[in-house]
Amino acid sequence: MDAIQYLITGFGTALQWHNILFCMVGVIIGTAVGVLPGIGPMSGVALLIPITSSLTGGLEADQAAVSAIILLCGVYYGAMYGGSTTSILLNTPGESSSVVTTLDGYQMAKQGRAGAALSISAIGSFVGGVVSIIGLVFLAGPLSELAIKFGPAEYFSLMVLGLCAISGLAGKSIIKALIMTVFGLLLATIGMDSVSGVARFTYDQPVLYQGLEFLTVAVGLFALGEVFKTIIENDNSEGQIVKFSKILPTKQDIKESTGPVLRGSVLGFLIGVLPGAGATLASFFSYSMEKKISKHPEKFGQGAIEGVAAPETANNAASGGAMIPLLTLGIPGSGTTAILMGAFIMYDITPGPLLFPEHPTIAWGLIASMFIGNLMLLILNMPMVKVFAKIIETPSKYLLPIIVAVSVFGVYAVQVSTFDLMLLFGCGIVGYFLARNDFPLAPLVLGLVLGPMIENNLRRALTGSNGDFMIFLEKPGSLIFLLLAVLWISIPIVLKMRGKKVLINEEA
Amino acid sequence: MNKSVDRLSSLLFACIGIGFILESRKITQSSFGGSGSVGSDIFPFGLGLILVLLSIGLFIETFKYKEQVSEKQYFNYKKFIIILVAGVLYGLFLEDIGYVIGTFLFLLIGFQTMNRGKWITSILISGVFSVGVYYLFVGVLQGNLPGFPTW
Repeated sequence: MDAIQYLITGFGTALQWHNILFCMVGVIIGTAVGVLPGIGPMSGVALLIPITSSLTGGLEADQAAVSAIILLCGVYYGAMYGGSTTSILLNTPGESSSVVTTLDGYQMAKQGRAGAALSISAIGSFVGGVVSIIGLVFLAGPLSELAIKFGPAEYFSLMVLGLCAISGLAGKSIIKALIMTVFGLLLATIGMDSVSGVARFTYDQPVLYQGLEFLTVAVGLFALGEVFKTIIENDNSEGQIVKFSKILPTKQDIKESTGPVLRGSVLGFLIGVLPGAGATLASFFSYSMEKKISKHPEKFGQGAIEGVAAPETANNAASGGAMIPLLTLGIPGSGTTAILMGAFIMYDITPGPLLFPEHPTIAWGLIASMFIGNLMLLILNMPMVKVFAKIIETPSKYLLPIIVAVSVFGVYAVQVSTFDLMLLFGCGIVGYFLARNDFPLAPLVLGLVLGPMIENNLRRALTGSNGDFMIFLEKPGSLIFLLLAVLWISIPIVLKMRGKKVLINEEA
Repeated sequence: MNKSVDRLSSLLFACIGIGFILESRKITQSSFGGSGSVGSDIFPFGLGLILVLLSIGLFIETFKYKEQVSEKQYFNYKKFIIILVAGVLYGLFLEDIGYVIGTFLFLLIGFQTMNRGKWITSILISGVFSVGVYYLFVGVLQGNLPGFPTW
């Protein structure tokens, strides 16, 4: 098996001592990000990009990239583990993907079974994570071989599909989500056009020639936006943490959660692979599925361990599954993977079908590190869960100003420009007002990241067809993607018109 | 959702779209590719057009849903404005007063704005953070930060 061979080489990279260290730092910070209700995986990853880039400054280009990305991905899946802790102990989800965990998790904690709930969610997360990485190992090769045959027309349509998918599920109003997507794409056109070298929308301002820096915009929108929201809306709710002593689950607990964990892994992985659907949707779906097939559906909401095991497994499996379209096709399916893609591009590496043949050390090193990271998280979250529970008590008085200071430091360390610092604060204000009025931010970031690539493929396809737009409908692959994109947007609209409730992906 | 905010933002986005449409017409075409090739104006032009159409859609949408009466929420704009102004000043003068002093002052103001009192803890955390980050970044990682004022 080729895949196994590559994976073994990948472990060679991931087991270098500095990469183990990076992985560990990533998952610890990720768990902390997950536990803290104020900051989510998107702002966590965005905040850490500049910090990792200064940490890896001394390494060679390829090595720096793999180490940095190992750390950032660790933050991403680590946050999925941490999110459950506050759901169970405080009835406050640390992330949107842990919202359903509160239903049964907090009930269990009140009945004195907090330890069992926490350990089952750690075990479930581990199983879900590992299942999805195994899926990634075997799907990555075939998918990138398929994608490598795509021409510019197919690529353009595939990216349109990705954008439509994330907009269709991204918020209360599809129109608002689409506006954000288009706005992101438009912002990406500012600066020097990479094909012809023409300056666009720069108005002779030298700071604009390189375009709006993705990192600055992302940190501003997410990290500062969330800080501003917490300050303005004063939602530093201080609840009582449930005390607990016993950590290990009983045999009965394990027996009852085996089924939900296995089903949650598969379901979560499949949902994660789909663009647009992410960890939040996966956790909702697996919870309702368990409730439907359970012999005692009335137990759910009263502290059923299945209601903790299934969603916590599924959200981790989904975060692993979401790496597949990112790594093999270069299409991020969620806000956090869009930010990860921005990190790849900062290191001059474009995720996509060429990633595996051209940078096998990075691709397989990352995959191998995800196994190691999940193992570390299992260890961190079982005996150490009490330590992490303490993080909840960090007073927001100190936390919020420090997040602002870290954002300023990160942006300045990478960009070394006052203009970017002003852009950072501007984006923070814009991010707060957009999010407050139900304009989802993830599509904006996705548009900003994919903008240059979409435009390139559009122009290459059109140049090949002498400016004839029909090329996108004549190529069968491209036609299929476009049809899927139309369906993805129109089906939720039709369902809404019929008065059905459509589940949306708040963010993951 | 708030009708007036949505209408206002639909107007704003429509203006942005029109702006991009008009401005993209002014982009000077390079000679690359000759006639019939696809220039650097087509993508922003098309997107501007889509943005205008979507804004009209959003405007129409505001007539369809019922205004949600949200419960009165207490908004804390005073703290926000103090921290925002402090942050912007911090960013503007970072290169003049240096990282250590700037960060120390910003954090101190931030902590005290969030919650008055405990001056000693605030001073300690601000000091440790600003000196610590500067030392780690410049001393250990050999990065570049304006450390102290040059005067």
